[in-house]
Amino acid sequence: MRQATESDERLLIEAAQGDPSRFAELYEQNFHRVYAYIARRVRDRAEIQDLTAHVFHQALANLGKFKWKGSPFCAWLYRIASNAIADQAKRKVRESMPQTNPTAESSSAVDLEEVERRARLFSAVDTLPEHQRRVIVMRFADEKSIREIADELGRSEGAVKQLQFRGLENLRNRLREK
Amino acid sequence: MAERSIIDQLDDAVSALVEGRQIDLGPELSALAGVAQDLVGLPRDTFKAELQQQLIRRDSMSSPAEQMETNAVRSVSLYMCIAGASAALDFYRDAFGAKELSRLVEPDGKIGHAEIEIGNIVLMIADEYPDYGVLSPKTIGGSPVRIHLYVPDVDAFAERAINAGATLVRPIQDQFYGDRSGQIADPFGYTWIVATHQKDVPPEEMQKEFDRFTQEHSAKKSSEAYSVNEDKMRRENRRAVTPYLTVHKPAELIDFVTEAFGAIEHFRATGSAAGMHAEVSIGDSVVMIGGAEHIEPKPTAIHLYMPDVDQAYERAIKAGAKSLMPVVDQPYGERSGGVEDVHGNRWYIATPFVPLQTIAKDLHTVTVYFHPIGAQRFIDFVTNAFGGRELMRHAEGDMVMHAKVQIRDSVIELGEARYPEQPLPTAIYLYVDDVDAVYEQALNAGATSMLAPVDQPFGDRNAWVKDPFDNVWYIAAPVKR
Repeated sequence: MRQATESDERLLIEAAQGDPSRFAELYEQNFHRVYAYIARRVRDRAEIQDLTAHVFHQALANLGKFKWKGSPFCAWLYRIASNAIADQAKRKVRESMPQTNPTAESSSAVDLEEVERRARLFSAVDTLPEHQRRVIVMRFADEKSIREIADELGRSEGAVKQLQFRGLENLRNRLREK
Repeated sequence: MAERSIIDQLDDAVSALVEGRQIDLGPELSALAGVAQDLVGLPRDTFKAELQQQLIRRDSMSSPAEQMETNAVRSVSLYMCIAGASAALDFYRDAFGAKELSRLVEPDGKIGHAEIEIGNIVLMIADEYPDYGVLSPKTIGGSPVRIHLYVPDVDAFAERAINAGATLVRPIQDQFYGDRSGQIADPFGYTWIVATHQKDVPPEEMQKEFDRFTQEHSAKKSSEAYSVNEDKMRRENRRAVTPYLTVHKPAELIDFVTEAFGAIEHFRATGSAAGMHAEVSIGDSVVMIGGAEHIEPKPTAIHLYMPDVDQAYERAIKAGAKSLMPVVDQPYGERSGGVEDVHGNRWYIATPFVPLQTIAKDLHTVTVYFHPIGAQRFIDFVTNAFGGRELMRHAEGDMVMHAKVQIRDSVIELGEARYPEQPLPTAIYLYVDDVDAVYEQALNAGATSMLAPVDQPFGDRNAWVKDPFDNVWYIAAPVKR
């Protein structure tokens, strides 16, 4: 994830406030952060996706109201996310569904560091050599077994495991570089 | 070898993590397993891309709809009188996802008062109380009030409602004023306009679009008026899709549909070799009947919407048909039964729980029911060949149990062949604008030619094709003069 400087980010926000089609850049820069933030509090993938979508829709709809006060744009997105998670939890209680998500809501610094690290990891996956990237995506995002991936890619299970190993090694190294 | 075993160990750890199990690892792998741990729940590429698409497509996607919802005035509520309010409460729950807020029940089960919530509107519902002048649409023959609902996803909403037994009155489509909307009728006599707000249209632009809309509309009307005089097909109230029943003894079939279903004969001609051709109307629809002793009959399945299913069923039995299924109330909002005439045609007769006039726009008295082997491929075929548009489907797994497809101004129904007498291929007389073009399209979609386009002495240009499911389509348009 390219780390936008403060003034870069400010320009991007102002551009998007004038022309919503420029929102794509803000989305690109913050998608993994928002996703990681929500994934830290919510387990279910469908729920994470719903909440992530909600955050960006809300952000786009209310972008005009965003006022630059020096804190990064993602802090605003986190606040939207945090409210959405809390709303959802309340709704669940109301509908008396089993509550799956603990919602300890104060975002400590440690917490946000963790989110940032994970967001960087998600973004780093896109920089892997293609074969490694595909295996990592199929294994972790699509939740496929080694055998399914081997079938789909037309390679042996051993080769897929090897790619998975190299991919994880590369990701570890990339995180260390930063 | 050592590395291979590390690779396997790491995969064991990954498998455990993906499945949510804990596993102990040596120090050499714990760093990698930590990375793997953080990767669990990695977002899917497709999700990221789709969300981006949504955001781009609608500058502020859900916002207009959501703003509409949040700004809704709530000091006005509808109070709906419904004969069978208890069933209606179930229906609104299943069809519209309504949430029941309260209900007051009389000892005999009658609903004195109930409240439900759909989205953020609250509706009040009660049974009929004729003594107090509280009457339902069923009793007074419809409701002059239509209910307008904004929903987050109108297509999904309508599909769910139709699967639960609502009827599509007007197809869901984009409107010039920035909504995507359509109309559905519930089984209790109320019509719902359902909509998702897509974009705000500035007032000037809206007026412009409205002017264009009214112009097109009046142009269409006058061209229709023109064709009422000029065009044989309009004069006889014919739709694009007209079933063609081919039997050994067409005269007997005409007698049968007259006796059983009150058909009215318009036209009968007997040729030398080709046998008889006749046209009758049943309700709002035209059916063509033809055949001769030496012509292979093509029995057909027909869905027949009649005002009184019990009467039609009885008369059909009296006229010599045998029962396929007795008349019963169906959970999907119809009372229906089935008969087979002596020629092998299967008539599924139904009376929907809505007044017939409210469904007439979408469903016709006579609707052909196809039972192809490979319903999905059949839908693809009518889509590619004739510009069909799927209106709804009910599927179990991959199998299409029931679907409706619109072809021009007509609706056909279909379901995967499941019984020994099916697929029951049939013949259709299909009116189009350009016979030659549709003929080409049909061949490209996999049909085989039976007759290349030619002007017929009876005034139609005709082309005949057989689709891959053995149905014959007589593609036709009036000969251009």
